Amino acid sequence: MSYVEFSTISKHFGNSVAVADLDLQIEQGEFFSLLGPSGCGKSTTLRMLAGFVKPTTGTIHVNGRDVTALPPEARDIGIVFQNYAIFPHMTVFDNIAFGLVERKLPRGEIKQKVDAALAEVGMTGFEGRYERELSGGQKQRVALARVLVIEPEILLLDEPLSALDKKMREEMKFWIKNIQRSVGITTIYVTHDQSEALTMSDRIAVMDQGRVLQIGTPVEIYEQPASRFIAEFIGESNLLNGIVSAVDGAVCSIRIGNATVTGRLTQNNSVSQDQDVALLVRPEMIRLHALDADEQPKLTGTVSETIYQGSVVRYRIQIADQDLMVEIANRPDLPRLDMTDEVAVFWDAESGVVMP
Amino acid sequence: MERKIPLPMLVLAILGFCYLLFPILVVVLAGLTTGEFLTFPPKGLSLRWVISFLNSEKYLSAFFFSFKLALMTMVVSTILGTAAALFLARSRFVGRAALRAFFLSPVVLPGVVVGFALYAFFIASGMGISRTIWGLWIGHILYSTPYVIGTVGASLATFDVSLEEAARSLGASPMRAFRKITFPNIAQGIQAGSIFAFIVSFGQFEVSLFLSAPNSEPLPIAMYNSLRYKFEPDAAAAGIFAITLVIASVLLTNRLVNIRRLLERQDG
Repeated sequence: MSYVEFSTISKHFGNSVAVADLDLQIEQGEFFSLLGPSGCGKSTTLRMLAGFVKPTTGTIHVNGRDVTALPPEARDIGIVFQNYAIFPHMTVFDNIAFGLVERKLPRGEIKQKVDAALAEVGMTGFEGRYERELSGGQKQRVALARVLVIEPEILLLDEPLSALDKKMREEMKFWIKNIQRSVGITTIYVTHDQSEALTMSDRIAVMDQGRVLQIGTPVEIYEQPASRFIAEFIGESNLLNGIVSAVDGAVCSIRIGNATVTGRLTQNNSVSQDQDVALLVRPEMIRLHALDADEQPKLTGTVSETIYQGSVVRYRIQIADQDLMVEIANRPDLPRLDMTDEVAVFWDAESGVVMP
Repeated sequence: MERKIPLPMLVLAILGFCYLLFPILVVVLAGLTTGEFLTFPPKGLSLRWVISFLNSEKYLSAFFFSFKLALMTMVVSTILGTAAALFLARSRFVGRAALRAFFLSPVVLPGVVVGFALYAFFIASGMGISRTIWGLWIGHILYSTPYVIGTVGASLATFDVSLEEAARSLGASPMRAFRKITFPNIAQGIQAGSIFAFIVSFGQFEVSLFLSAPNSEPLPIAMYNSLRYKFEPDAAAAGIFAITLVIASVLLTNRLVNIRRLLERQDG
């Protein structure tokens, strides 16, 4: 049995279904993200694990123990909220000590543990402050210290970065990941931000409309998305419409206009001859060459827009009636293209993913 | 934030305040008259009727009866009102708005109607509490509780429930989470509500008119009865003491609670 197990969990609110038939296995020490658009059921899933929401059906096991009917205080779970929920009438010290006081630890031990937690999150010297005297990032650190100090079985993070500005968000992303790694705590992270999920997670579950669409490592989710929805939700994607001209195991030939390109099938997807499909190619996987008379490229197009972004240059390529976004590293050995240039478009066979 | 108020508005506001406060000035000055009768403007100023009030068995006992009743009312209204406000803020069900309106209805209905309805009910049900302090107490609680629901509701509206959830998750039982987290954060609203309840009860007239016993009258009823038969300034002197008590409790509230902040919260 896995460390955390959701078995056929569902949650109905009146007539609306927030979570439907959810099965999840999360391993000890794993950083697991629930990723999806707002209203996809990820927060409800987290709140069921925390004990704030009672599932309509199914069971939740943590560390072999059935916690489905347990109240939050009996679950040994630490949660960091989106708005941090720092107790406004208590000092930073009393906030962090709260869980230890509830556990009736002796005073000396509380002091010692709170001091250690403050040091761990880099907030030594702030113990006398109140919530209103802290910045967003500092509240974040206090909220994390407050749950880590009770050494819970699981750490739950509910969109903890969404209240921060962009620069702070980048910083906290790595900081949280480092803390998690050094403590080794099983962590479940809820977010709608794909870059947070890709950067921090060991595994990601992509959710939509109360269901899990795909579970996998960041590489699997990004490079082998199971559906068009996931492909478009995670990262930037080109979806080229074409027709299947041949299928050979997982490799397909796809006709796009007059050209034939190859792509591969992922997950459990299958296609048949002459089926309309979409071919997913990530912008950074595409190579462009100036059109050479000697060459017989498979796919050609016209540059319709160039966007200079410093480290990369982005081109919009018109291929018949379809648009393709291409991202090329800004390096002296790679060609610079101009508007209306005719170009040959290439990608490695593995970089094209066929979506039924 | 400094905002300039247009002059016509300022004049209008000052006139409005004067209009509202003038009767209070009349009462205070009338109570300080040297004359035999309740007149305005007073015939010379003296403490004659104030001393008469302090020597009057009837007024003093009414004053302390009202004080006792208001304290008793405050205690029960605060507990009931806080519980009702919590229920209204936390539960989600069809008809919640209707229930809220029902809880607040005693303030909206004419006092005479509420007083008469209670009187008729006490008689008809044979409870034996019509024209006793217990019946009167119930009437005052009914009248004061909506003020507590209002102020506590306002502080709950901005209270972030995730604070309570965080406490629960850190190991606190529902009762402990309420006592250590929710209560300190809504305490201002509860304090304000309880002082409102006290003031409302102390000044209550219509309900008291129907429910008070002849031998133990609250101050407003005692003043009314006295003025019906003779027009003596000691009623106005009693008024001075009532006004002083109310002002004192408002000042006390202001010390304890920032009423303006509470009202701003309700808007937001």
